Amino acid sequence: MKKVMTALLAASALVTLAACGGNSDDNGSGGSGSSTEKVTLKFQSLAFQKTTVAATKKIVADWNAANPNIQVEYVQGSWDSVHDQLVTQFQGGTAPDIIHDESADITGFINQGYLADLSPYLSQETKDAVSQGVWDTVSSDGKVYAAPTLLQSYVVFANTALLKQAGITATGDSLSWDDLAADAKKLTANGKYGLGWGLKSPTATVLNLGMNFDGQFFEGSGRDAKAKIGDAELAVPKRIHDMAYTDKSIDPTSLTQSGSDVLPGFYAGKYAMVVGGNYAAQQILEEAPKGFQWEVLPPLKGTSSKQAANPQTLSVPAEGKHIEQAAKFIDYYMKAENLAAVGQGDWLIPTTQAARDAILKATGGKNGWQQTLVSGNELTKAPFQSVENYPKWKDQIATPALQEYLANKTDLATLGKKLNDGWGQVNS
Amino acid sequence: MRTRPTARVLQYVAVVCYLVFLGFPLLWLISSSLKSPQEFASITPTILPKNVDFSNYSDALSEQGLVRGLMNSLQISIASTILVLIVSLPVSYALARFRSRLRPITNGWILVSQVFPVILIVIPLFMILRPLHLTNTIPGVVIVYMVWSMPFALWMLQGYVAAVPRELEEAASVDGAGRLRTIVSIVMPLLRPGLIATAMFTFISAWNEFFFALVLLQDPDLKTLPLVLARFVGAEGQVQFGPLAAASVLATVPSLVFFAFLQRRLTSGLLSGAVKG
Amino acid sequence: MTATVTAPPEAPIRKTGRPKQNREAIFLFLPALLPVLLLSVYPLIRGIALGFTDARAGLRVDTNFIGFGNFSRLLHNGLFWDSFRIGIIWTLSVTILQFVAALGLALLLNTNIKFRGVARTLALIPWAMPPVVVAIMWRLLLHPTNGPVNEILQKLHLTDHPINFLGDFSTALPAVIVVGIWVGMPMTTVTLLAGLQGIDRSLYEAAAVDGASAWSQFWNITLPQLRTVIVAITSLDMIWNFNSFGLVYVLTAGGPGGKTMLPMLFAYNEAFRYGNFGMAAAMGDVMVVIIILFLAFYLRNRLRSEA
Repeated sequence: MKKVMTALLAASALVTLAACGGNSDDNGSGGSGSSTEKVTLKFQSLAFQKTTVAATKKIVADWNAANPNIQVEYVQGSWDSVHDQLVTQFQGGTAPDIIHDESADITGFINQGYLADLSPYLSQETKDAVSQGVWDTVSSDGKVYAAPTLLQSYVVFANTALLKQAGITATGDSLSWDDLAADAKKLTANGKYGLGWGLKSPTATVLNLGMNFDGQFFEGSGRDAKAKIGDAELAVPKRIHDMAYTDKSIDPTSLTQSGSDVLPGFYAGKYAMVVGGNYAAQQILEEAPKGFQWEVLPPLKGTSSKQAANPQTLSVPAEGKHIEQAAKFIDYYMKAENLAAVGQGDWLIPTTQAARDAILKATGGKNGWQQTLVSGNELTKAPFQSVENYPKWKDQIATPALQEYLANKTDLATLGKKLNDGWGQVNS
Repeated sequence: MRTRPTARVLQYVAVVCYLVFLGFPLLWLISSSLKSPQEFASITPTILPKNVDFSNYSDALSEQGLVRGLMNSLQISIASTILVLIVSLPVSYALARFRSRLRPITNGWILVSQVFPVILIVIPLFMILRPLHLTNTIPGVVIVYMVWSMPFALWMLQGYVAAVPRELEEAASVDGAGRLRTIVSIVMPLLRPGLIATAMFTFISAWNEFFFALVLLQDPDLKTLPLVLARFVGAEGQVQFGPLAAASVLATVPSLVFFAFLQRRLTSGLLSGAVKG
Repeated sequence: MTATVTAPPEAPIRKTGRPKQNREAIFLFLPALLPVLLLSVYPLIRGIALGFTDARAGLRVDTNFIGFGNFSRLLHNGLFWDSFRIGIIWTLSVTILQFVAALGLALLLNTNIKFRGVARTLALIPWAMPPVVVAIMWRLLLHPTNGPVNEILQKLHLTDHPINFLGDFSTALPAVIVVGIWVGMPMTTVTLLAGLQGIDRSLYEAAAVDGASAWSQFWNITLPQLRTVIVAITSLDMIWNFNSFGLVYVLTAGGPGGKTMLPMLFAYNEAFRYGNFGMAAAMGDVMVVIIILFLAFYLRNRLRSEA
């Protein structure tokens, strides 16, 4: 009797529970995919600077006005938690219809089958606007899993007044690492440092800038990739380490901080230069005290000025009900004026030449835009982007090992060994 | 107890140390929330802001997610508190009054539920809630909070129920009142302080909860305040500390108000409940 | 809360009423039963079982039972054991230091000292703050360029350069432990205070007549009288600290270099960053076993010395 009662109760409660939660996720139901039917698409954007958020929202609003049948809803996500969030969203079947992420992060999702092949849906116009090298960063086996939107490069920001004082003029097409070290040394005096470098999360910086010295880090792709750590790969950490501990021209404390944490020291003249992603320019503009003069130095150069192209991406979930409509919105987003608007808001480099030209025209190349846009030409695909377990290697192996080395707790040989052996461990 | 003067002095020194350790962080947070962005970026901080600037608050409040997070948190916390009380009261009554076989089982469950790391629970929980369409919904989080704050509610309430003199109930049952009526009309009023303390505890643990919400809520419109705040911490350390500090102060206010209202009752309630238990 | 320790008073034995009581009890349990079974008991069992499978993220992937496969791989996962070591250091340091600090505070609050009201209110404040807010607040306090702690240390010439407490290899774990102590103070203090107020005054009076010093009163009366409360609150603190997540997730996210990677964070990453749900559950299983062993050891010693 007791058992029967319990079972009955359990069943009835299940039904009620299911009934109250029924309206949770599938509000655009029907799902036939025909474009005449009205659908609402969720667009999870990771834009975080005020200017970019505004630009992105404007794109969405313009689109919604012109496309009453395909409404897009702006949803705010965050770079910090995007990966964990997407794992749960895919798992729970609540992934947004348009997913904003970056190429290095989506490799795992591609392999897990979560992302849709967009090649049948994207327009020829979009396909032609982006160079093949950049398409390669979001493709696998001839299928295209995302549209690349914006590129980031690492640049050197400098305090103009302090450069003048020290008699340094940095012009030309590029700034060699040797010159950077020499300048930083010259600018170091009286408790002030030539360079502040927020390297709390060092892996992305080291791997991207590693291309300066043709650092590969991996051979092969997917699960079969092998780690390849040699002098070329270790050149960037070694040079940073030398500057911090031999020349003492980088503040070692800054190496433990995040990019934006070192900016107050930059405004206060404690650091004459800082290295960071070019998006930091927007924050400098907003926060720096009045009268603070700064500039962007020419791109860093080792054996070349190459950096890894790790574009931001827009993807669509494979289980999405409206892949075709989502791709149409992505086409629209990729139009030159739209990409230019978000790029300008974030100080990032659009993937299409037309959008870069639009920014150059709008800004007149001022405030370092000239140098920023030029650096975009040197961005190419790096091997780590197609390695499935790269995120795990990055978190568990590379980041701790690099942090340890940059804190002067281990030597270069140990770093190399850790990076190499660690790969075997996480990829087993 | 007589206290010697030197001991007295030491006591006061100790109290001051405790006051600084416990109070200074909050003071700093409030002061930070009132500083302008420029003052914030200054490398020589001052304890009190030079100019009181409320722009961080307006920034934080204009951030849509924050206000919505506040509302979501309030909704979830209040709903789960009410549910916990409704469900726990009869159970704790039964636990305190009857010697049934369910008692050792329940107490065992209470203990086990404290010991298990949530990571072990959250994945299956996710899998159970998904077919019920309760992941990524507020009702889903509410019932999860209800179940997971029950152990503590039962602990607390059991003690309070036991402290209610049994004679009162017996008198009522002699008068012919049924069990349910006895509970409602005799026991409940006497349990007021206990119910308040339990409500307070449940509210605060729901208000503060992070992990379940992190996994169960993905839609930004549904996120609770702690999740919204954690998101503020931003990408690659792009932290806007000013608005963040303002938002943090705002997130502390509801519990503090709760405290202010119930402070006296809470401490005496908590204490008596715990001791009598 | 101490209701856990002191068993609820026994109901008077009314043999005749036994079956009726059981029925009534079940009736009172009913509303709680289904949610608890569905959302607590079942997930617990499922969670334990998940550790023996290869469940992972992916579209249409099959889950297979793999016996002890995850556990044998865990044996060779040095990073996991590192996080365990960190978890144990964190748990013990926070629990012990917090207990000492809270006992001191509770003793003070139990005297007739001034500012008692203020101190009591302040002692409760950390409890009113979400751990996420606490983490944000301490990040502000410990900020290397514009945080007050560094400013004060430099003014006092205790250090000549700012320390990035949460970013430096040697200071990150201690800094996180300090925050952990701060956040757990209210619970421990209030419980101990309740215990102190429950001690019979006449014991002290008798001791005072015998001329016992304050110290010997503390040692011979207060501590023994508090024993059950102490055992209860330290065991709970220990469990909570070992399983804590939100605070450190926002403070350091396990960094720098994994120096604050508590087991919960490690398992969370395994599940929700790398999508290995089975492996993460296996980590949870190991955590449960360790906590139970730990508690068994602690409680057995305690209870035996009490007997």
